[in-house]
Amino acid sequence: MSTAAMNAMRVVRATWPPILFGLAFLGTWELIVVLYDIKTFLLPAPSAILSALADNVGSVWDAVRVTGTNALVGLLLGTVVGVALSFALMRFRVLNELVTPLAVALNAIPIIIVVPVLNNMFSTTSQVGRRLMVLLIVLFIVLVNVAKGLRQVSATHVELMRSYAATPWEILVKIRIPNAVPYLFTALRIAAPLAVITAFVAEYFGGTQDGLGSRITSNAANSRNDVMWAYVIGACVLGLTFYLLAILIENAAGRHQGRTRSTTTTGTTATATPAAPTGVAAHS
Amino acid sequence: MTAAADSAPAPSAAVSVGRASMVFNAGRVNEVAALTDIELDIQPRDFVSLIGPSGCGKSTLLRLIANLLTPTSGEVFVNGKPAAQARLDQDYGMAFQQSGLFEWRSVRKNIELPLELKGWAKQRRADRANEMLELVQLPEFGDHRPWELSGGMQQRIAIARALAAHPPLLLMDEPFGALDEMTREHMQAELLRICAAAETTVVFVTHSIPEAVYLSNRVVVMSPRPGRITDVIDVDLGGERDEDTREDDAFYATITQVREALRGAEHDSGQPVRGVDDR
Repeated sequence: MSTAAMNAMRVVRATWPPILFGLAFLGTWELIVVLYDIKTFLLPAPSAILSALADNVGSVWDAVRVTGTNALVGLLLGTVVGVALSFALMRFRVLNELVTPLAVALNAIPIIIVVPVLNNMFSTTSQVGRRLMVLLIVLFIVLVNVAKGLRQVSATHVELMRSYAATPWEILVKIRIPNAVPYLFTALRIAAPLAVITAFVAEYFGGTQDGLGSRITSNAANSRNDVMWAYVIGACVLGLTFYLLAILIENAAGRHQGRTRSTTTTGTTATATPAAPTGVAAHS
Repeated sequence: MTAAADSAPAPSAAVSVGRASMVFNAGRVNEVAALTDIELDIQPRDFVSLIGPSGCGKSTLLRLIANLLTPTSGEVFVNGKPAAQARLDQDYGMAFQQSGLFEWRSVRKNIELPLELKGWAKQRRADRANEMLELVQLPEFGDHRPWELSGGMQQRIAIARALAAHPPLLLMDEPFGALDEMTREHMQAELLRICAAAETTVVFVTHSIPEAVYLSNRVVVMSPRPGRITDVIDVDLGGERDEDTREDDAFYATITQVREALRGAEHDSGQPVRGVDDR
């Protein structure tokens, strides 16, 4: 059998049980709703949710775009600011001692509660407060991880570079930055789904009503549960898209970089690492 | 401070250490006298091993020569220049127990790193990398990643990198310490071949007596607390060293001589000798 065929077999064997389970779950759900005649405002059947989605696909897509843009802008800006700050922390020891404990502490508190404060700072139709919230969440994850990658280089590497009479700038470019790259991608893998969740939850605290979070709360308030669930599907798709993109970028970078290391500092499950190097040669 | 005139290096010496002492954490409760009054001259093409129990300061002495540490007193000259200048001129290459290869660089790019830092042009770097890969007999592995290679192969690449700029001096800190015995003996023979081909002077830190005797033409025996040189043993095994050398009577006689020198050092300091490998 060819390698491609064997790979396809492996994918099928790994994916059919969860797919089957999911379909069985939806089927049971549908059956219970029909059998017991459960009203839509309590629990809509999957078929009702699907038809609500079909009826509202345009407005679901609009809401996905609004929330997705907030998440993306916050994620990108948070990454840029986080990377910039981690360089500053590495360069200035005083700054490091001031900021790092603060960053770790802020990471531990539910910082999402400051959304109303941020909302008050900008006009009611502004998305800036929400984007700032996403930025803050992403910023600390990126900062803590990348700073670690820049600082934790092997002692042998540093001695080697000193023996080559390398300048601090050369040590930064040739050791610290390459060392920190896998840490950045790990941070992004953790931060990407969190950016979506944050953008979503930030809408629960008022402001414009055009995003997924606002649509879900307003439909829930009107007992239009089937439409609410259609927006939930939109939210699921958005979260999965962000997570998948982060994994794809990390794997592409991993192939370029060679072996990926486990650099996770937050307790998130590791993704599949690139295949182990083949053809490990024995010493001759 | 010793007057420079006292310890001016012999012009021909590859390494000249003059009354060097090293104290860590001077003046504090955890003060450690790592090295005391070290005098050592190493001639070009010498292969000198530093051997002694853990804590005798042999790695510290190597780092003084490399100018990774500065002696508390005394002087170190490499190639007739102060050690600091020799480091800036990249007059030596260095290899450690960990191969210290950069996993995000290919084997070839690892070997090219010291040349990059010297500002060599791309083509010249590539040519030299190929030459070094031939020298360590791994020409087909240039585009591999370091972690695709076995431990012994990684060490050979680390040696190729250390010698890439053709430095006259090679400093090695227990480079084969993490390898299994068979690989280790193979690597020792390889190292002798490579250094003969590259005409390199070597200072080699080890805690294995047979390794020191097989490789060196001089074995420097050190003792701890405070770290000092207690004996320098010339090794004369006659002619080329090969696998038969390990069976040679002169080889065993020298091993015994080094072992007794180490025991003598133990007797002097009243400390048991630990961390020296008799195998």
